[in-house]
Amino acid sequence: MKAVKIGMPLLMIIIAGVFLISSFAIPKANLGNPNGPLYFPIGLSIFMLVLSIIYLFNELKTLHEHNGKIQGLFEGRTLKLIAVTIALGVIYAFIFEPFGFLVSTIIFLGCLLFYVNGWKKWKANIIVTVSFSFITWYGFSELLGVSLP
Amino acid sequence: MDAFLQGFQIVLQPMNIFWVVIGGFLGTIVGMLPGLGPATAVAVLIPITFGMDPTSAIILMAAIYYGAMYGGSRSSILLNTPGDGSAIAATFDGYPMAQKGQAGEAMAISAVASFIGGVLAVFGFIFLAKPLANFALKFGPSEYFLLMLLTLSAIVSLSIGKMVKGFIAMALGLLISTIGIDPQTGVHRFTMDIPHLSEGIEFLIVIIGVYAVGEVFYNFLTIDKVKKEKKKVGRIWFTKEQWKRSKWPILRSAPLGFIVGVLPGAGGSIASMMSYSSEKQLSKKPEEFGEGAVEGLAAPESSNNAASVGAMIPLLTMGIPGSGTTAVMLGALIMLGVRPGPLLFENDPGIVWALINSMFIGNIALVIINVLLVGLLVKILDTPAKVLYPLIIMLAFIGTYTLSYSTADYFLLLLFGVIGLFMKIMDFPIAPLVLAIIVGGDMEQNFRMALTSSNGSFSIFFSSGISITLIVLTVLSLFYPIVINKFKKKSRNNDKEAISA
Repeated sequence: MKAVKIGMPLLMIIIAGVFLISSFAIPKANLGNPNGPLYFPIGLSIFMLVLSIIYLFNELKTLHEHNGKIQGLFEGRTLKLIAVTIALGVIYAFIFEPFGFLVSTIIFLGCLLFYVNGWKKWKANIIVTVSFSFITWYGFSELLGVSLP
Repeated sequence: MDAFLQGFQIVLQPMNIFWVVIGGFLGTIVGMLPGLGPATAVAVLIPITFGMDPTSAIILMAAIYYGAMYGGSRSSILLNTPGDGSAIAATFDGYPMAQKGQAGEAMAISAVASFIGGVLAVFGFIFLAKPLANFALKFGPSEYFLLMLLTLSAIVSLSIGKMVKGFIAMALGLLISTIGIDPQTGVHRFTMDIPHLSEGIEFLIVIIGVYAVGEVFYNFLTIDKVKKEKKKVGRIWFTKEQWKRSKWPILRSAPLGFIVGVLPGAGGSIASMMSYSSEKQLSKKPEEFGEGAVEGLAAPESSNNAASVGAMIPLLTMGIPGSGTTAVMLGALIMLGVRPGPLLFENDPGIVWALINSMFIGNIALVIINVLLVGLLVKILDTPAKVLYPLIIMLAFIGTYTLSYSTADYFLLLLFGVIGLFMKIMDFPIAPLVLAIIVGGDMEQNFRMALTSSNGSFSIFFSSGISITLIVLTVLSLFYPIVINKFKKKSRNNDKEAISA
């Protein structure tokens, strides 16, 4: 729990630091004020950096306080659910175009439903997967004229 | 007046009425899902508007927005889980009513209160929008920059107790908005030589990521713990006695909600809380509040719907969204090729008045949907979350694809989903991030244009009465949490003194 509590402000400090360092690498503009594109990002990253440091100290002060939400993240299968959804999303990104919308969506939604809703409800999972994939495909591609692979 | 009637004619076209009904119904369903609010509903359903003509698309979008507001109160009443801040007050007395077996009556009075609040606010809109648009024509780049600054600082200040986090979220959002080619100079910023980033990060992907994917991830925390509650709906219309108790609170709350809605950063949550507490103070039976007092539900419902119409004024006349949900609406409008601002009323009055009139028709359609289809809606709410959340995730992916026709954005979607999850877990307000990403580009351009026109002198930001007023308001908004804290401490001390006496 402590790792998440400190990790978040540290991540914000890193993000602000990366933006600040990268701001100095922005090339000078040929049009108008050569430093014009720099001011806003530099000002903001310094602002964010200062606030993130304050945030870090605030978190350090309350490090031992209980946070039910962070605890919930590590309880049961929450982390697994999130990780599997992300993994399936990445696979979906790779198969979406080569496999086409219908096949890839049936695979993605089917796997996700089986994992989230459980194997016991296999009938409902299959019916929902096939019907919703088809309805979405028909709705977007035929009714709304959106071109899908 | 002509434009108003012309707008009415557009909305009354059968196809547009059809879209109002469909949008209202879909919005109600998504808004009703526990944990998902109007912002998520609009974000997930945006792709439905693709391929439609802009007027119909906007009418549909607005119907989804109002539908989701109605839907949000359904889950507050039936499940005690508000979809967003503006639906919180509906849980105070709505849920106790449902527990007493009066769920149907509660939903009917909330639908009628929302309807009356919404319709009264539309009249307010008609009177206020045009003068405000004319006033906004006086705004130059420096005034616009300061107005955006005020909106951002107000929205951060209103997330009381989370100001540091709010400003971090805001700064992050503004920094994200600088990614891509700088429109003034053509310089690449933070693109890391990735061609896909040169156009910047599409803010709708951020919105769908943090609101839809992030919310689903967050709901995974409790997905196995949620117990199913069977609710008796009871009669689906309220009694004469309930109406007698509710009518004045409804009528009083509408103007209050409308005014709060117009103010930057405020919006539905503040409006509904304010009207709840003022009705409690005015009531002859304040002890019944929180135990299922019908006026304790009717007042905030009227107020938050009036606020959602009021929030359309700064959105349409100045292009300034006042809340996370209206920020999503702004995103949707920009995507549809409509640029909100004072000139919208001059250049495209048809769209504006069609949208406003769709509020009338939409509110009527929503009352009918919400009263007649109560049984169906309750059944949908019975659908297990474990089936609904994967469907929301699927819709989020498809929505993202239809925005750019590139699966590369799926990775950004997931990234922002994780960011949204951790922001929720660590108690960061999300609205400042979303708002900053949307207005960030304009804010920077206006800031630089103002400085260019003054040859780099910052005095331009103090050169007009409007600018100075905006600066004063921004500073005041920063002190607002301190004043509120002092006020709370004082009232706590008074309570203690009263108890010890």
